[in-house]
Amino acid sequence: MTADVVATEKLRCDALLRPGNTNCAGCGMSIGLQWMDHALEGEKPYMVIPACCGIVTAGAFPTSGYGVPIAASTFASAPAVATGVANINELNGDTSPVICWTGDGGTYDIGMATLSAAAERNEDLIYICYDNEIYGNTGGQRSSATPEGVVTSTTKQGKGEGKKDMMAIMAGHRIPYAATLSVAHREDFLRKVRTARQTSGFRFLLMLSPCPTGWKSEPDESVELIRSAVCSGLFPLYEVFDGVRYRINEQPDDTPVSEYISHQRRYTKVSAEATSLEAFIKQQWHYLNGMATAFPADKAT
Amino acid sequence: MGREFLEGNEAIARGAMKAECDFFAGYPITPASSILHYMLQLAPQIGGVAIQAEDEIASMGLCIAAAMAGRRAMTATSGPGISLYSESVGLAQIGETPMVIVNVQRQGPATGSATKGAEGDIQFTRWVTSGGLPIIALSPATVGESYELTYRAFNLAEQYRSPVFLLTSKEIGVTRESVDLDEIELPPLARRKLVEPGKTYLPHAFEHSKDVPAFSEFGGDHVARFTTSTHDQAGYLTSKPGVVQEMIDHYAAKIDTAADDMALVKEDRQDGAKTVIISYGITSRSAAVAVEQARSRGLKVSSLVLQTLWPTPERAVLSALDGVTRAVVPEMNMGQYLLEIERLAPPGVEVVGVNKMDTALISPAEILQAVEP
Repeated sequence: MTADVVATEKLRCDALLRPGNTNCAGCGMSIGLQWMDHALEGEKPYMVIPACCGIVTAGAFPTSGYGVPIAASTFASAPAVATGVANINELNGDTSPVICWTGDGGTYDIGMATLSAAAERNEDLIYICYDNEIYGNTGGQRSSATPEGVVTSTTKQGKGEGKKDMMAIMAGHRIPYAATLSVAHREDFLRKVRTARQTSGFRFLLMLSPCPTGWKSEPDESVELIRSAVCSGLFPLYEVFDGVRYRINEQPDDTPVSEYISHQRRYTKVSAEATSLEAFIKQQWHYLNGMATAFPADKAT
Repeated sequence: MGREFLEGNEAIARGAMKAECDFFAGYPITPASSILHYMLQLAPQIGGVAIQAEDEIASMGLCIAAAMAGRRAMTATSGPGISLYSESVGLAQIGETPMVIVNVQRQGPATGSATKGAEGDIQFTRWVTSGGLPIIALSPATVGESYELTYRAFNLAEQYRSPVFLLTSKEIGVTRESVDLDEIELPPLARRKLVEPGKTYLPHAFEHSKDVPAFSEFGGDHVARFTTSTHDQAGYLTSKPGVVQEMIDHYAAKIDTAADDMALVKEDRQDGAKTVIISYGITSRSAAVAVEQARSRGLKVSSLVLQTLWPTPERAVLSALDGVTRAVVPEMNMGQYLLEIERLAPPGVEVVGVNKMDTALISPAEILQAVEP
């Protein structure tokens, strides 16, 4: 018993995301980093983080710090910096995973070119985007991950454009592994991080990350929000192997999408937006089911 | 409007609107983001366009294109963003593109302290892009001056067909002050010289090196050529040494020969003073207090506040240095404009910097120490 307590305490001391960080309450990043840590089962990754909340909310000595080697990069260059780390690790015979941990601004917008280039070269690294659909670190501006209709500090009337399909873009690079992550589906989350760990080459993981500050939602509802995003079909849990083989992990149930959006004050015209999202969900699942049927992951092609 | 309680960044947006800025593009960055927010609100009110770009390179590209299409364009960022603007600033120089670039300076290098101020980009602005050609930069010290100098920056951009920098800082940009913008005196609005109807149009035509070429917009009556490469007056690519040098001389001359016309300074000279404090930006406000305190102690001290930083207002600086033995130059950097004052100081004038870049403002006491060591 004592040994267990000691081991637990030791694990806590060695946590990837150490206590004392200034992440907002209910931030998806906190859960994501901890679960990623759990999935790696004590293995210490090298992490590269560009400009985003993740590089400022943890790291101010002595209140907090990451428990792993960490390099901050310029906003646009995280995959390039991680490529450098991965290549030198290979020369050194160091098999620790190299993980890019980035927000949606650094992934969907300014970092797109270096992300695409690293994926095209099939660099041996894991790229995780914690997507809160907003520039959370600079005052809540829209990004190209922000869904249609959402009010941000630069879309006061609601965003006119829809969200970029980042998974399709990454699948289009024919990378070995791409998957979506939910902070409401722990087993699925851990399994996917482990799958990514056991795969070599470029791996892309997309996590829908609740942001109470930007989403104008209640911190204690963060996990439930993501559950309703998954269960309503808005945020599908699926995997894409080699860019062509699809596996759907969770079918939507009858949760209405309004349950997801009505708990966030960034959606102001809930009924109209629910209608438009329902159409989007239908179209999205038509595509996904079609791909998973035509190109299933579990059948050798 | 009467008196308002405005932050510097809002005053910049209002100054831009007063200057009929009808195109803005920017990318979120602390402490400049609120200029983007204000412009998204204000620009459409006069039929203008404001866009949140996908990064800083795109922001500059959007503004250059809009300016060459005849719009009055502005962008705003902070240190790391200026780094990404760099190549495009060169494009705006070689293309003779009128536009305003706001830099709300923050502590650097790199991310630095994103929410802390500094004046670390003074020489960076001067040498912002390859080639080392002259650049125009204005620096406000107050919310009211943020309004006024933004307006004036547009005038200079239009008059000289050149990118113009507004070098403010976090301390001014996100601090609120009471100000009545209508009380601020402004010169008439300047507009770029357009090519006369029926005349042959060369995009970079000049008779004398210092002439500013007349303009014709993309999509207008003429074929407008715009290139990143060395070119002749017609905008055709060339690498003929004589022609290339003639163009380089022209880019430099149109700004250097106008330095006196662009010089904006505030002088507070005291007869018999042997010390002058030369300052700009937020630090000039500490300098003003230091001057007041020095005088109350019976010390004689003069002050020169520079609103135009580039091209260097040499005549005003030389005049301020005339008759003194000591020039104190306080800056929130490690001694950047100090180099200009040292360059200009006649023999016998000791030039002393008051420098730190530790995120805190320079206090009047720190300046006084240098005035009376």
